[in-house]
Amino acid sequence: MSDHSTHGAHGHDEVVVDHTHHAHPASAGLFFAIYAALLFFTFLTVAIAEPVSGLHLGSASMFIAMLVASVKASLVMAVFMHLKWDTAMNNIAFLGSLIFLSLLFLFTISDVATRGQADPAASTPAEYQQPVFHEYEHKGGH
Amino acid sequence: MTTNIPTVDPATSGGVELRKEPSYLRVSSGLWSWLGTLDHKRIGLMYLVGVTAAFLVGGALAFLVRLHLWTPDGALFEPATYNQVFTLHGVFMVFIFIIPAIPASLGNFVLPLMLGAPDVALPRLNLASFYLWCTGTILAIYSIINGAVDTGWTFYTPYSLETGTAVVSMGLGVFVLGFSSIFTGLNFIVTIHKMRARGQTWFKMPLFCWAIYATSVLQVLATPVLGVTVLLLAFEHIYNIGIFDPQYGGDPVLFQHFFWFYSHPAVYIMILPGMGVISEVISVHSRKPLFGYKLIAFSSISIAVISFLVWGHHMFTSGQSEFVMVAFSFLTMFVAIPTAIKVFSWVATIWGGSVALSAPMLYAIAFLIIFTIGGLTGVFLGTLSVDIHLHDTYFVVAHFHAVMMGSTALAFFAGVHHWWPKMFGVMYNETLAKISAVLILVGFNVTFLPQFEMGSLGMPRRYATYVEEFQIYHQISTVGAAILGIGFALMVGYMLASLAGGRRAKANEWGGVTLDWHTPTPPNLYNFDEEPVMTGDLYDYTSGIPDYGKDAPMDKDELAERQAAEGWNA
Amino acid sequence: MSGHAKVVTPTPDGGFATHEVAHHFKTAEQEYQSGKLAFWLFLATEVMLFGGLFAAYIIYHDVYPETFVAGGSTLNWKLGALNTVFLLTSSWTMAMGVRASQLSQKKALVGYLVVTWLFAAGFMVVKYFEYSGKLSEGVGPGYWFNPVPGSHYAEVLEGLPFPNLFFALYFTMTGIHGIHVLVGMILIGWLIVRAQKGHFHSGFYLPVDLIGLYWHVVDVIWIFLFPLLYLVP
Repeated sequence: MSDHSTHGAHGHDEVVVDHTHHAHPASAGLFFAIYAALLFFTFLTVAIAEPVSGLHLGSASMFIAMLVASVKASLVMAVFMHLKWDTAMNNIAFLGSLIFLSLLFLFTISDVATRGQADPAASTPAEYQQPVFHEYEHKGGH
Repeated sequence: MTTNIPTVDPATSGGVELRKEPSYLRVSSGLWSWLGTLDHKRIGLMYLVGVTAAFLVGGALAFLVRLHLWTPDGALFEPATYNQVFTLHGVFMVFIFIIPAIPASLGNFVLPLMLGAPDVALPRLNLASFYLWCTGTILAIYSIINGAVDTGWTFYTPYSLETGTAVVSMGLGVFVLGFSSIFTGLNFIVTIHKMRARGQTWFKMPLFCWAIYATSVLQVLATPVLGVTVLLLAFEHIYNIGIFDPQYGGDPVLFQHFFWFYSHPAVYIMILPGMGVISEVISVHSRKPLFGYKLIAFSSISIAVISFLVWGHHMFTSGQSEFVMVAFSFLTMFVAIPTAIKVFSWVATIWGGSVALSAPMLYAIAFLIIFTIGGLTGVFLGTLSVDIHLHDTYFVVAHFHAVMMGSTALAFFAGVHHWWPKMFGVMYNETLAKISAVLILVGFNVTFLPQFEMGSLGMPRRYATYVEEFQIYHQISTVGAAILGIGFALMVGYMLASLAGGRRAKANEWGGVTLDWHTPTPPNLYNFDEEPVMTGDLYDYTSGIPDYGKDAPMDKDELAERQAAEGWNA
Repeated sequence: MSGHAKVVTPTPDGGFATHEVAHHFKTAEQEYQSGKLAFWLFLATEVMLFGGLFAAYIIYHDVYPETFVAGGSTLNWKLGALNTVFLLTSSWTMAMGVRASQLSQKKALVGYLVVTWLFAAGFMVVKYFEYSGKLSEGVGPGYWFNPVPGSHYAEVLEGLPFPNLFFALYFTMTGIHGIHVLVGMILIGWLIVRAQKGHFHSGFYLPVDLIGLYWHVVDVIWIFLFPLLYLVP
């Protein structure tokens, strides 16, 4: 063991009095405030939804609904799930999945949205697309 | 924990050095001490036995496929049976053998040793994922009895919805195998983060650990999508959910998206650990630090990330959007960069090294040759216009066999040969091992080079019959498969023979310097005699190699047994 | 090597609680952080698993917008909103439960866990009424989608392409979510038993913490499911 020195092994049944608290209990007031905010955003989601309010927000409605849901989810994750106080690695481990998930969304949705649109001829009537054979016949004839 | 303190005076033991603790193989015995073990090394060995058995089954199926294709009309099977045979070959090789092969067997055994840890972070989860693997395998075998599967290993809809074969049970088998893979990956990520030895920073980790880390990220992030895909496929069978079935308004191409979102990263789940093994083997057997250590480490991570951006190159003829295809083809080219960095770094490591042409090194060199062929033909196939011509031909078959079989499986064998003396404390017959390595290298190329040729001439994959022009290629290929089969049979033979009566391994058979070579041979139950601390450089062969040239020490029971068996006493 | 480290923590009642660290860890902190990271990674796999379903939903919502709007309008948004309130409340009580375990408050912990369990059960009861109401009118997933002629469902969905797809996705997504709720109820029940025995205290509360995280993810998924299914934009 030349380049790796060794260190004394643990004793058995080593007793450690736990001084280093990894617990960071957040205040009960904060939890209640978050809970109240979540209820408010739920009310908001329902209130602006077309089937309930009759508001016509068109294509923006999906965006708004998902935005409100994302805010709610962020509150739960940051405070209830303690991500705000958690290690950077735990944040990366969980939130990193959203980046990869967005790749699944990006490519599948852009495929479905643009399928069959590259070739303008494909959308023209069939008789204009008949292959032209006479040049080959001409060559074959000589 | 039982500690076997030496009570035999070394002077009376015939000069044999005694171990401080019994090895993990001898610390307990009985069937339950294996089936219920939480020791990462024993779990790794159980995986090793399991995946090797799966490889032999898959290999036998492959050989049947090759025999069938000896004549243009098909020599052995009805076409429907032929479809089942190649599907089962694919399912066994991909899901049961190759995905767990290196991470779950070698990774389990070696990773904690390299990190200087007593075990993986979650030993019980480790055992659970082994039993999930067993359950998935049993479901797959049940599916064979219950009507087999004839869809190809990709289960493409809509055919997989129409076929009357056992797609549901096979799909559930794949689902369970997927969770086995997820839990292995999750365990290794946590192990690498939390269990490294004192002084072992990220850049003092052997490259095998980096490769396993990148693999594990893929396993954790990609496999759940496979899980939900086969689950939806099962629902499609159970209650016509309709998502993948045009009859009910669904889109079969969406199935391919979901499937390849997993299965393309899965290609790197298969090859990245192989690259990690090759890095270790090449360094030790060239007696040189790895050239471009950080580049290889980062290339593993970047391969993992890029692999999520390229899955559509499997679908160039599926009818997906042309715009998306162009993007996928463009992004695919980027995989070549980190891959080439690795190949050049390995070659540069060998250059000027003190190369020992030992059996593991021969396997590694065979890997380098075949992987380069597989990698470069991958660039052809990633090119949109070329792929339209080559799609679903034998060119594709030859390409992915060069990467899967010729690279991952060879890296697996290189690793098994490399760590075998550490695992069992015995050595195989190295002459036979070298013969086997050469047979496999030759057999592989005789099998697959004709397939590149006939694929570019238009021979489609998965056909039970073919036109006569291709017969000579098919026959050469089948002869090559026979050579491969002889090579593998020889390997199994000398490996088993070594367990029965092989030469006793040296304490550090190859002269490795990473922490795995600092354990006693074979390791203790908790691996090290004393908790290791890393102070020097990784891959430093200049300031002394631990225990190099010494015989592996024995514990006193082992010594007594050997003395009794060989009739000597002090 | 690898001795068994033991953690001794003073409790509010003046006693001491002990926790023995697993054999392969050096410290309680290493054990705790390993469990935490592993569980976050597991939750990432849950995100990916549900992500596939959400991707399918969004794609078919784009392909058949009228069908999905009509399908959503047949669901009872009031029941959906009630269930949202149930899950949000249980998420809050769970967070308070984890806090109680960190402060070694045994009685409060048991109380919060019981309330959490009850709201989860309430969620499943509402779900049961929603499911049975639909099935009785012939609205089930896929194969079981045969709306009774003359029913509200049959009228609203009349003439629209592939209404079966909306309901297949509705049952599949809420079904897989519902299974997660049931698993959560089993896990919380197990926590209640152990908490009652005084197993959790400021020196060891990892199981409460982890199952709490799981429960919040179940809540987060519902936060997205509710507007997507009941209030189809």
